Order: sequence, then structure tokens, then C-alpha cells
Amino acid sequence: MEFFRKTLDPVFAMAAIAILDIFLFLLLGAWTVGGGETMMTGLMAQAVLGDDLQRIPFWSIVFPPHADYWKIYISLGMFFGAFVGAVLSKEFYWRMPRRASEWLMITLGGLLMGIGIRMAYICNVSTFFGLIPEMNMGGYLAISGILAGAWVGSLIYKKILEG
Amino acid sequence: MTPVVECLVAFLFGSVVGLLMQRSRFCNTAALRDAIMFKTYRNTKAMLMAMMILTVGFTGFMSVGGGHPMQFDVGLNTFAGLFLFGIGMVLAGACTVSTWVKTGEGNLGALWALLFTFVGMFLFSLVWSWNWWPPAPQTMTGEPNLPALQLGFANARTLQDKLGVPAIVFGLVQFAVLLAIYRAILRRERAQHEKHEQHQKESAEIA
Repeated sequence: MEFFRKTLDPVFAMAAIAILDIFLFLLLGAWTVGGGETMMTGLMAQAVLGDDLQRIPFWSIVFPPHADYWKIYISLGMFFGAFVGAVLSKEFYWRMPRRASEWLMITLGGLLMGIGIRMAYICNVSTFFGLIPEMNMGGYLAISGILAGAWVGSLIYKKILEG
Repeated sequence: MTPVVECLVAFLFGSVVGLLMQRSRFCNTAALRDAIMFKTYRNTKAMLMAMMILTVGFTGFMSVGGGHPMQFDVGLNTFAGLFLFGIGMVLAGACTVSTWVKTGEGNLGALWALLFTFVGMFLFSLVWSWNWWPPAPQTMTGEPNLPALQLGFANARTLQDKLGVPAIVFGLVQFAVLLAIYRAILRRERAQHEKHEQHQKESAEIA
């Protein structure tokens, strides 16, 4: 099938996603990522800690873990869709960073993303494809934050690459 | 809608998103990073296109009270959180979406980033349980809360309720701004292309 042989124009792909997102907005809410991951974190922590999790108020007040939270399934769906796309287009193969500096950057980057999402209650998807299109005041605060952060991140990235 | 149906709808939406992202190599991090570092805009244009469609769609439905806009107070935590997130996504080379998509392609580095996103969230839950900031959604009032460094809640719909102007009008203004940025990028790309062609012609003449 042609679809799995050629790279799709990202402008077309994102336009299609935007139209689907309008339907999702009407049914449940705009496309969002971060809430689902937090719930997964809570569920994993519950599996490990059991009732001891109750000693961390965040998990009883802000995010009581429960598995039927729709945002979890957006993320699992993205993983599944990408896996199917990669397999059908013969682009699935195991790969991993080679240098220690890359592993360090990924580890730090992952930690900062997790902390940032929970501090802001949103991530980049909700910023660009949720709050800004809803013209929420938070969208403009978030976009200023992410642009400043991406700029600082690019400086660090360049330094590490050149160093 | 029952929770099971909600989860099914979400899974279906996510699957299509994952498939389209994988086939188009769209990456949100690249949309910002490449524009800043390399002055290339392949992903930036796609991001703007989606934002234009969504602005008109969302504010249009919000004008008539439709849709489910996000409801929570924003403030310094929104800026600071996304600042940290912005650094993190460039270092990790992927945002939360592309970590899932790249993991689906067999990228173990992306899976590692995802695992540490979970770790970061858990660490934050510990810090939150100690300082209780930012406020929990239940205690948000929609009004400015300066001791908590929060500005409250406002979106196109609250503007409509306050000013009597339909939300879509504000949406169309934002659409025009986004379109102007999109067109500026197209102009810049054309200029880059012309410069590149001229350069090639010159080197051909020298040779």
C-alpha cells in the first residue's frame, strides 16, 4: 500500500489529526498527554507500594489511581498505532543511543518532562493543541515557557554535542 | 458515555494519531528545536496548521456552549512547568507524544525517556505532598490566587460571557495571527530556496 511506502506530508497528517481532535473535543475533551502518564505512574506506584501509597497525599487528592481514565488510552493508542505503522512499513527495528552522553541527556530530559508536566498540569500537546486553540490564558503562559525552555535546551544540547 | 466507551474512543483516537505521526515523522520537539537551531520549518508548519484548524473549531463550538474546554487555574506554575518541559524535551529529543511513537518503532532510548518521565512525575508527587503547590484542582476557584502565584481561569468562552462578543470572533483574530506566522515561514523558505539555487548556479559557473 502506498501509505506505508512513502512518508506522509506532516502538514496533511496534522490537519487530519486536528479535525479528529475537534470530534474528541466535542465528546471528551481536547487531545492531551501527561494526565494518562500520571495515572500510569500512580497505578505502577500502587502496584509496588500497595496501601503505603496513601501516605503520599498527592495520590489521594490530585490523582487517585484508577485504570478507567480515558487519557491513559490515548497514550496506549499512540504506541499501538505507531507500532502498526512501523511494522507495516518495515520501519520497526530495535535501536538505542550509543554514547553515554546521549543516555544522560535522555534521562535528564525525561525527568524534567515528568516534573514539568505535573507542575503545570499540562504538557506540550495541551499547550499547542488544547489551551491555545481554546484561547485559555494558560496557553500563552505555557507557550512562553516552552519556547524559553526549548531555547535553553538547544543551548545545552549544542554545548554537549560540540563538547 | 460510560468510562469503557470513553476509553475505547480515546484508544481509537490515539491509534490514528500514532499511525499518522509515525508515517509523517511529525515531531513536536523538532517543530520548536529545528526552527531555533537549524532554521528549518517542516514540523513547525504542520504544528501551525493544526493550531489554525483547532482555533476555529474549538472557539466556534465554544461560542454555542459546545465541547469540553479544559477547566483549571493557571499561573506561574504553568510557565515554570513548561519551561522545564521545554528543556527536557530538547535534551530527550522527543516530547511525550514522540516518546510513545518512537517506542512503538523500537527505539529503546525513547522508552528510557518515557520511564524517566514516570520517575519525574513520581518525584514531583513527593514534593507536592510536602509543599502542596500548585494548588489541587479542588481548591481552584477560577479567580486570581496571588499567594499561590495563580492568575485564575480565562478562555475564549469567559471572554464571550464577559464582553458579549462571540468566542469565534476572538478565534478568528488568533487564526489570522497564526496564518501570518505561517505565511512568514513560507516566505522565509522561498528566500532560503532561492539563495540555495543561486549559490548552486554560482558554484557551477566557477567550476
